[in-house]
Amino acid sequence: MTTRRDFLTLTAGALAGATLGTERAGAAPKAMTVVRESSFIKPFDDYFAKTLATDYEKLTGIKINYEAVSVGGMLTRLTTIAETKSGPEIAMTALNWPHLFDASLVDLTDLATEIGKKIGPWHDNILDAVVVNKKWKALPWGNIGQLEVYRTDWFKEAGVNKFPDNWEDLLAVGRLLKKAGHPFGFELGHGFGDNHGWLYPLFWSYGGREVDKDGKTVLIDSDETAKAVDFCRRFYKETMFEDVLGWTDVNNNKAFFGEQISCTNNASSILVVGKRDFPEIAKVTDHGMNPQGPKGRFHLLNPVSHAVLTHAPDQAAAKAFLRWLYDDKQLSRWLTSGDAYYAPFLNGYENHPMWGPEPRYLPYKESLKTSRLHGWPGPPSHAMSESVAKYVLVDMFAKACRGDSTKDVIATAAAQLKQIYKAK
Amino acid sequence: MSVRPATLARTAPVSAGRSALRSFLEREGIFGWLMLAPGVLFLLAFVAYPFFYGIFLSLEDRRVASPGTFVGFANFVTLAHDAVFWQVVRNTFIYVTVTTVLKLAGGLGMALVMNQAFRGRNLVRAFLLLPFIVPTALSTVAWMWILDPTFSVVNWLLVHGKLITSGYSFLGNATLAMGSLIVVNTWRGMPFYGITLLAGLQTISYELYEAAAIDGATGVQRFLYVTLPVIKPVLIIVTMFSVIFTFGDFQLIYALTHGGPANATHVFSTWSFDIGMSAGQLGMGAAVALAILPALALLIVALTLYLRRE
Repeated sequence: MTTRRDFLTLTAGALAGATLGTERAGAAPKAMTVVRESSFIKPFDDYFAKTLATDYEKLTGIKINYEAVSVGGMLTRLTTIAETKSGPEIAMTALNWPHLFDASLVDLTDLATEIGKKIGPWHDNILDAVVVNKKWKALPWGNIGQLEVYRTDWFKEAGVNKFPDNWEDLLAVGRLLKKAGHPFGFELGHGFGDNHGWLYPLFWSYGGREVDKDGKTVLIDSDETAKAVDFCRRFYKETMFEDVLGWTDVNNNKAFFGEQISCTNNASSILVVGKRDFPEIAKVTDHGMNPQGPKGRFHLLNPVSHAVLTHAPDQAAAKAFLRWLYDDKQLSRWLTSGDAYYAPFLNGYENHPMWGPEPRYLPYKESLKTSRLHGWPGPPSHAMSESVAKYVLVDMFAKACRGDSTKDVIATAAAQLKQIYKAK
Repeated sequence: MSVRPATLARTAPVSAGRSALRSFLEREGIFGWLMLAPGVLFLLAFVAYPFFYGIFLSLEDRRVASPGTFVGFANFVTLAHDAVFWQVVRNTFIYVTVTTVLKLAGGLGMALVMNQAFRGRNLVRAFLLLPFIVPTALSTVAWMWILDPTFSVVNWLLVHGKLITSGYSFLGNATLAMGSLIVVNTWRGMPFYGITLLAGLQTISYELYEAAAIDGATGVQRFLYVTLPVIKPVLIIVTMFSVIFTFGDFQLIYALTHGGPANATHVFSTWSFDIGMSAGQLGMGAAVALAILPALALLIVALTLYLRRE
């Protein structure tokens, strides 16, 4: 086996690398850097950079630098950090990344156990995302839930006062609202969140599965998948319009504030931005849980966590910072600054005051219980990431919506998944 | 008085040394290499090294932050059996071919007009360069609004001009999405052709046109038998560069459609990025990026040979 490091060593010379390594090993941790994806909630980023970082410096003398990466760019940044083995010591991870970057992340089991005893226990479903080979490779922070965001005024005009509980009822409302000039707008294009946010839950709620628990048996070619695809085609044709096939994550937000659509699937950021910039729309905006299908109700697990990189010159100092950060005194303040955008995975925070000021965010807490990672029930592997990056499931539904036959779209998806999961 | 000879005695060897160094450096072989060195080092570091590292990666099953395993051509074999890969090949060739033809025709027209004398010519030349000067990421944001279904100015004009009843879905419809990307790429790339061909046109002696006119050549004949033969080498070089740039186009597509809807606009660069960075399959991502190489190399060799023959 040859690593990139080997290649570099051969081409650039081992001497320079060895010298640098010796220098870094002896360096004292006067400063550390935390890299995170920029939050939609600006006060949340500011609270860390201006308040928490300053508090820690006063306490220990260690300066904490805060690097904010643009939304959607964190995976690329983390790849660069892990590949070059340089840069920030502490990084945000999302989804199943602890599994992808396993070799570059420090074991945080002791810290996770300690925090779990104090404020936990941790929610069970987060373990899939951060525990790799029985080791905690990241400390869970919170879930950015994807729920139904809708216009209460237009729903009321259609005679609906409570958000529909199942997909068929939602379709019936959507049909009426489209006729009234207020169509739905659910992303079916190549974005990074708002497409998966409703398509995986819809797929699961009809009993569809990409792959079995073993990560080898592809299950997508099933009657359950066919039913989900057929429903999605009707849902698209009867409640939406063609643009959604090409939408990325910004489009549904724009369409919602442009008063073009009456319902979409999104994080709570629409309401947060609405309260700030479109107060009249915010007044008539609310959230609903994903509707249930014949096989239950599901949501997408979208966890944000924090990990220590193995290249950190002083791993103990990085862990000490995380221990301080995850102490209730800090954790509680930082969570509150996030305006309930992040639902914590600690049972001790079930009734945290952060949920008090705005009851419309409560469904995001509720949705945690039925949230699963992309590709569930398959293992959170590289193959799962490949399937997501290739938009296998999204394109299966999108092609059906544009008119391809159910049989064809499932056959294409099954062939792709067999290749990805190296199934026979 | 005793100082001067002593000073002279000390400086003489230095002067001789400098002179020897100077004459050494001024030898054509040495001086040539010295002038070339910065460029060669730059190319080695930023072109040759990534290129060969890319080849090395494409032959490995290499996942992010993990050691790789040599797999030979297995990544390329896997790609050959992937239906999306062939869709990406088709998309890329349609995108490159149509935009190149449009940019070539439009750029040539632009250069011919700009070569005429008229009031405000310099100002118009400067404005025509704007699409090329504005950073792609920035201009793409403007195009996102222009093509946006809700806020599209094109749709607004068409609907309010009563030409259509409802707006087009520029980025939601597979055909229109590819068409929209072709329009944006052509808009951005045409000034490159225009300005380069204009430089070629300005090298043509006016006497040639006068002689052709005296011989009774029409405007079209003057273009076909005077203009075109003279600017042909420039035309080929600018086409070659443009084809290379367009094959590697990334920002525009990534920002506007991210390869959607349903892979209808995925090209090599965007698909390679998704596989390499989003899926963490660095080996396979490199293989996708390199799969373009044979076609590109063939085209460049063919054009270069043609240029030499000319």
